[in-house]
Amino acid sequence: MALNPMHQFEVYKIGPEINLGGVNLSFTNATLFMLISAILISSLLFFGTKKKLLIPSKLQLITEMSYTFVAKMINETAGSSARSFFPFIFTLFMFVLFCNMVGMLPYSFTVTSHIIVTFVLAAVVFIGVTVIGFIKHGIKYLELFVPKGVPLVLLPLIIIIEIISYLSRPVSLSVRLFANMMAGHTMMKVFGGFVISLGLLGGWLPLSFSVALTGLEILVAFLQAYVFAILTCIYLNDALNLHH
Amino acid sequence: MKDLKEIATRLKIAKNNVQNLKEKNQGTNAASLGKALKISTELVASVFVGTIIGFLLDSWFDTKPLLTICFFFMGVAAGMLNVFKSAKKMNKKLQKKE
Repeated sequence: MALNPMHQFEVYKIGPEINLGGVNLSFTNATLFMLISAILISSLLFFGTKKKLLIPSKLQLITEMSYTFVAKMINETAGSSARSFFPFIFTLFMFVLFCNMVGMLPYSFTVTSHIIVTFVLAAVVFIGVTVIGFIKHGIKYLELFVPKGVPLVLLPLIIIIEIISYLSRPVSLSVRLFANMMAGHTMMKVFGGFVISLGLLGGWLPLSFSVALTGLEILVAFLQAYVFAILTCIYLNDALNLHH
Repeated sequence: MKDLKEIATRLKIAKNNVQNLKEKNQGTNAASLGKALKISTELVASVFVGTIIGFLLDSWFDTKPLLTICFFFMGVAAGMLNVFKSAKKMNKKLQKKE
């Protein structure tokens, strides 16, 4: 069982089973690690901004850096009109980042390696952006599906293709995060298994691979959170500024 | 107050260094990796979504394989469109930088 690389993705419940109207709401290890990430983020931001020093402490520096990082990202990709969405994008970025990073610790559980988690996040973004687009532009938002300068004969085909391309957004957003996290963690576990099965004699090579993979995985963990947030910004930009 | 002045000069030096570094390696490896991951999934996701829409419409209208096949190819087209669009966006960004 220890050698099964997929065993780490198993969701099991902690404590009693809670059933509310036929929906299983039990507290699971996934819930636990989401809670841990949320608490970590809250405490980082709380303690980082508690003492507002002119010369920032390390904690304050991290907090301020994360703020400017996200603020800059929004400004560059979505323009100043998206400023009011800063809290949402910041929360999204920090949550994905911390879930990924907490998952990098040994014996922990990676919440974002489950497609249902990433798909819900992506669906919230997708539905939110669509609603914002319709609120901002009304029925004119549908012009997004009609590119300019297309011959009338091709228009029906193009509109269908554009709609498929629009609907593929949440899928690509969620599959990317989930697949990267799951593939990376499986690979690390497989190499870890090689170390044990090859023993003292031949285990050094996979061990060194494992170390390198850990570095790569930390990079991917950050990168995926970044890509998730930046794509949210891009979609938001499409909804706010129809013609670009 | 002397401390603050010292920090001001140190900040200036640090900012200069960061600026130099930025100019040196525009578009770092990490950013490129992010772009590559982004584009590859975009191509696949549209095919997947197109096929699913075709399948759903098929079971709705009882035209079994026909619409699935049509929408599969439209999904492929949409995937290419997606890649084309994001490549165009990256190009625009690069040109803006230069």
